[in-house]
Amino acid sequence: MSLLELKGVKKIYQQGKIEVPALRGVDLKVEQGEFSTIFGPSGSGKTTLLNMIGCLDTPTEGEIRLNGNKVSDLSRKALAMTRRFNIGFVFQSYNLIPVLTAYENVEFAIRLIDHTSDLQIKEKVLKILDEVGLKGLENRRPNELSGGEKQRVAIARALVKEPKLVLADEPTANLDSKNATDVVKIMVKMNKELGTTFIFSTHDPMVMEYAHRYINLKDGMISADKRKEAKGV
Amino acid sequence: MFSLKLGLKNLTRQKRRNIITIFVIAFSFFGYLFMDSIMGGMEEMSFSNIKNYDTGNIQVMHPEYWEDREKLPLENLIYLNQDTIDSIKNMDGVIGISPELRFQASLNNGIDETVVLGLGISPEQYSEVFATKNYIFEGSMFAPGESKAVIGVRLAELMDLKVNDYITLLIRTKEDTFNTIDVEISGLLNSPNPMINNGIVFVPLDIAQQALNIGNGVSLFALKTASGDEDKITKALMNSFKEKNLDLKAYSWRESAASVIALSAAKKGGAATILSVVLLIGMIGIINNVILSALERTGEIGMMKALGMREWEIVFVFMVEATGIGILGGLAGCLIGFAGISYMVKYGFDLSYMGGDMSEFGIPILDKIYGTWNIPAFGFLFILSVMVALLSSIMPAYWAAHKDPVKAIYHR
Repeated sequence: MSLLELKGVKKIYQQGKIEVPALRGVDLKVEQGEFSTIFGPSGSGKTTLLNMIGCLDTPTEGEIRLNGNKVSDLSRKALAMTRRFNIGFVFQSYNLIPVLTAYENVEFAIRLIDHTSDLQIKEKVLKILDEVGLKGLENRRPNELSGGEKQRVAIARALVKEPKLVLADEPTANLDSKNATDVVKIMVKMNKELGTTFIFSTHDPMVMEYAHRYINLKDGMISADKRKEAKGV
Repeated sequence: MFSLKLGLKNLTRQKRRNIITIFVIAFSFFGYLFMDSIMGGMEEMSFSNIKNYDTGNIQVMHPEYWEDREKLPLENLIYLNQDTIDSIKNMDGVIGISPELRFQASLNNGIDETVVLGLGISPEQYSEVFATKNYIFEGSMFAPGESKAVIGVRLAELMDLKVNDYITLLIRTKEDTFNTIDVEISGLLNSPNPMINNGIVFVPLDIAQQALNIGNGVSLFALKTASGDEDKITKALMNSFKEKNLDLKAYSWRESAASVIALSAAKKGGAATILSVVLLIGMIGIINNVILSALERTGEIGMMKALGMREWEIVFVFMVEATGIGILGGLAGCLIGFAGISYMVKYGFDLSYMGGDMSEFGIPILDKIYGTWNIPAFGFLFILSVMVALLSSIMPAYWAAHKDPVKAIYHR
C-alpha cells in the first residue's frame, strides 16, 4: 500500500462566472520514505497539488488516499486532525510566530499531539533543533535569526511530531544558494535518518539534484514523472 | 495549555495598540467609577441635608395635614399636651423632638417683598433635632418670646438685610385675616442645605402662634432618631397613636423626601446609560483589536490550521489575548478610579464652577460635593471588563479562525 495515492484529482476554481482549472486530472502514487520534488512553471498547479495532498484543500473531483484512508471528502475537522497527526508543512515564508523563541515555535507543534511530560517534550525539541543545526540558538526569536536559520526552525517544527509526510512549498525560494543547499541537505538527512517522506515544490535546479524523483507539472497535469539517483549529502 | 501561553505572549505584540486599547477601557471605567462616586456622594449629602436641616428622621402630623402640606395650611394642626410629647421623646431610639409651625409669609424689608416659608420653632428643641444652629455664621439664635428672626444668607443678600435690621412678615391668620410679625434679625444662617439659605425665616414658635391666632397648635413634630431606626420607630409611634386614639401619623424622612429619592433613582438610570456607553467603548476597542490582529496574522492563522489546530483552539488564543487586555484595562481603570475617588472623598468637588447651588436642579447641596466609596462597583466593573473582553472577542476570533487555510497561508 502506497503512503499517498491520487486518482484523477481535479481542482477547478470559480472566479466569478469563469471556471479556472488548476489541476486537470492528476494520478500519483508516493511510497513511504520517498524524497520527491514537484517542479514546473508558475501557474502549473504545484501549490494546488501540495494543498490537496496536505489536506488543506479538497479536490473538485477525484480521490486522495493517505495511508490507505480516503481523505478527499473529509470534513474540516477531520482534515484538521489528519494534518495534526500525519503531515508536516514547511512554507516559503517560514510562518514562524514572532513572539515565540525557536524552541517554543517547535514546541508549539508537538504540544498539539504529544501530552507526555515536559521533560520528554524538551528532549524531543532540543534533539530536533540540534539535528537541524540550531543548537545554541534555541532561545532566539525569529527576528534574531537569519533566513536559513528560520527555515531550519520551520523544518524542525514540521519534523518534531514525526509525521509520515512532510510537504514543503518552495522552501528555498527566499534563501541564498548556500542557505538553500544547507536546508535541502537537512531535509535529505532527515529523510534518510527518520524515513520521513518529503514532497517539495521548487523550480531551483540545484535543489532538484538532491531528489530521487522528479514530478513535472504542466498546465495542471503531470507531464513527466522520473526517478533517478539523488546527489549525496 | 500552550495556547494560553501563546495568547499571553501575543499581548506583547502591537504594544502601542494594546496600550491604547487598555487606556481607552481604563479611562472609560474611571469615568464611570468617578460619576458613580459623585452620584453616591450627592445622594448621601442630599439625604443627610434633608434629615439634618429639613424633615428630621421622622415627622409626626395629621394625615390630612400631610396631604395638604405643600400648601402650608393652618388647618389640621396638632395640639398635644406635654405628657404626650414627653411619651414620644422617651420612646426607645428617639433622640429629640421639635415642634414646627409652618406658614406662608411675605417678607418685607421696607422696600421689597418676597414670598418665604415662615417657620415657628422652639430654639432649644429645634437644636436637638436639626444641626442648623451650628451654621449661624453671624449673630445668634433667638430665645423664645423674643421678637427676633433668623434668616439664610442668600435671602439676606437678596433682600439686602443684615443682623439687627428689622423685617415685617405679612401673614394670613387662621381666620384668613391679614396680620404682621415685626421682628429684628438676630442671626444669619449659612447651612449646607440651600433650601434653608434661600427662603426660610425662622421665628420663635410662640410669636408665630400668637400672630397666626392658633393657640398652641403646631404643623408637625420633627423627630431625631438613631440612624437606621426610622422604620422601627415609625411603626412604634403608629401603634402608640392608635392605642391613645390620636389622629396622627408618623412619616419617615424617605416619605417626606420622595421627590429627591425619585430624582436619585432617575440618576441611577443615568448611571446605567453611562455604564452602557462605557461597555460599548470597551467592546469596540476589543473587537477592533482582535480584527486588526487577525488581519495582521493571517499567515500565522494559516500556519496554525496547517499544523492541525482546530477552530476553537485558534479562537481560544485570540480570546486569551483579548481577555488579557480586558484584565489590564479593568485593573488600570480600577487603579485610576481608586486615585480619583480618593481625591473626591478627601477634597471633594467645588460646586462654585457650576454656580455653587445644586438646589436649582432639585438637589439640596451647596458649595462642595464629596465622593463616596462604592467598592462593589470596582469588583463589578472589573468582572464586567473581563466578561466584555471575553465575549466581544468571540465573534472576530471565530471569523479569524474560520478562514480558509489556503487563503490564510497565501494571504489571498
